[in-house]
Amino acid sequence: MGEHETTGIFESLVEKLPGNYDIYFWNFVILMFFTLFEVAAVFFETIPGTDIHISLYAVWAILIGVGVVKGYGIAAYFMHLKGDPRIYTRTALFPVLFVLLMLWGIGLSNPGSVQGLPSWCTPDWQYASQR
Amino acid sequence: MSGGEAHVENSVWMRAVLLSGVFLAFGIFSYLTMGVGVANVRHHAYEDAMNDYDEKKAVYNEANADYTESKAAKDSASVALDAAILTYEQANATKFELEDNDSATSEALEAADLAVENASALFGEMYAAYNSVNASYTEDYDAYTTAKSEKKTAHYAEMDAHLSYLTWRTAGITILLMCITYTAFLGLGGFLNTIYPDEVEHDDHGYGGDDHEHHGSGSPIIFSLGILLFLMGFPSFQNTLGNLLSGVEANLGDLGLSMLGLTIITAGVANWWREDLPFIGNHEQIATSDPFEGQHIRKAGLWVFIMSEVMVFATFFSAYLRMRTEWCTGWQVANENPNCLVETSPGVFEYQINMLTASDFLRPNGGSLDGLGGHGDFMTMLPGAVNTFALIVSSYTIVLALKTAKAKDWKAPEGFMSVFLPDQKRAVRNYLIVTFLLGSMFIVLKLIEWSHLVAEGFTIGTQAGSIFYISTGAHGVHVFAGLLIMLYLIFKADTVGYDERNGQGIEYFGLYWHFVDLAWVVIFPAFYLY
Repeated sequence: MGEHETTGIFESLVEKLPGNYDIYFWNFVILMFFTLFEVAAVFFETIPGTDIHISLYAVWAILIGVGVVKGYGIAAYFMHLKGDPRIYTRTALFPVLFVLLMLWGIGLSNPGSVQGLPSWCTPDWQYASQR
Repeated sequence: MSGGEAHVENSVWMRAVLLSGVFLAFGIFSYLTMGVGVANVRHHAYEDAMNDYDEKKAVYNEANADYTESKAAKDSASVALDAAILTYEQANATKFELEDNDSATSEALEAADLAVENASALFGEMYAAYNSVNASYTEDYDAYTTAKSEKKTAHYAEMDAHLSYLTWRTAGITILLMCITYTAFLGLGGFLNTIYPDEVEHDDHGYGGDDHEHHGSGSPIIFSLGILLFLMGFPSFQNTLGNLLSGVEANLGDLGLSMLGLTIITAGVANWWREDLPFIGNHEQIATSDPFEGQHIRKAGLWVFIMSEVMVFATFFSAYLRMRTEWCTGWQVANENPNCLVETSPGVFEYQINMLTASDFLRPNGGSLDGLGGHGDFMTMLPGAVNTFALIVSSYTIVLALKTAKAKDWKAPEGFMSVFLPDQKRAVRNYLIVTFLLGSMFIVLKLIEWSHLVAEGFTIGTQAGSIFYISTGAHGVHVFAGLLIMLYLIFKADTVGYDERNGQGIEYFGLYWHFVDLAWVVIFPAFYLY
């Protein structure tokens, strides 16, 4: 969110779109569209007008994908991380380290995730039982 | 007055006091119309629905008793009919046996014939009795299923009426409480600055000035001290308030520490406003060392603050994810997660839900457990979805406010929009007002949704309820804090005004507001849709 000019694929695409609307407007339109898309993905059991069933895995993927797109749209354009000095992005992403640590902790503290790990992920596990 | 400051007379602050009065009047009006007037009408409808349900339940109980009786009579008639058939078959078998036996006497054959005739007559009687009982059973069964269906319909009508009542009641109370807070914040801040001695001529040692940059303020320290004291006293504060509201005897002295904190917060805020209001921009303080060297200190500070906020929400989110790995929710069961298989009887496994999440109550096809959840539809999803759109629109309107403030050659639009955007100063103010209204709507819808969830049995007493209310509540508190800050921005936009020189105020607040939107982008799918 600022007055800096930025360049990129989205920016050059916006210039070619009809009307005298800026990048914030199109970012807003995209955010609205994706929100509608994510709500519809949960609301409809089949793709409207077809018999194609929307599986829960597909809904899950849509929710994560849409979340990433919307998060990027807000952070990059509304918060203007794209165009501001990199130090702000680094500051914003610093907690990601802790988020990853927390996710690691979630994995380690969940019995299913330890027992269910693939064999390539658990080399020499017999060491503990044979020792 | 210097190049970096506008001269603000104390009388200007009187407008804040007057505005606070408008908020209070609006809050009372909303409460009386929505929270009392409409809510009472809805409560009458709710009472009617409750009475209707009680009537339907009584009819159902009666029909159920008749049905149970008829079923017992039918079972008994069925047993008697079976016995008659058996008797008839035995008599017939005896007769055939005697007929095949050459040594059987005619008396024995006649006796066998008679036994068959008697058995046949008994069968006829039992069959007629069974048919009669069965007809009665069918009639009672039909009455039972009809009564059951009507009871169920009445139950849903009662639930709908209850939720409708809660909607209006919660909306009225929420708007009143929000307006009281706005009034207190704006009114006290304005009043404290009104009674502050007017400066005849401002010196240049405060803000701005041609040769001075935007100085740091001591007000945040005062503000923080107030928050510290308020939170220290908060347990007894909320306990005492709860007792007062429920008519239990309470010691008013227990409110003391938090009230002192609130007073210091108000004084800090008032002082902060007083320092900032005249600032029309000149030079921003620039960081002189790594890692933010050359950057505006206020902006860098705000990003560090946002970083700490990301940590707070990451903590809630990771706690939620960790707990969710242990739960069998409607989603996991629908996905046939093997961890949700339970041995219901030897060798028989079934997928079973052991935890209901908010999404089980809100989204269509949600799971149900012990009669709770699983009734989600379009209407239950609506508040959350509308709130998501509201936050995105508000993010855009604050961008428009900043863009308008910073525009060097802003032109008023023609036609309908010229009413809302007559000139640059009022356009900035009106964009901020729209943002403020959308944020306020978010809080009202959030609390309506909470009231519905609690009424439907999703309370803070469960693990899922606890993390849901804490996470969405923390987010709601952030939205509300943003609204209080926005009140001041609107006031400044209406008095001193924002332009390209001091538009950073909107920009820095906008960063916070966008972060609140960003947090919702994660919370909404994770808690409402998944």
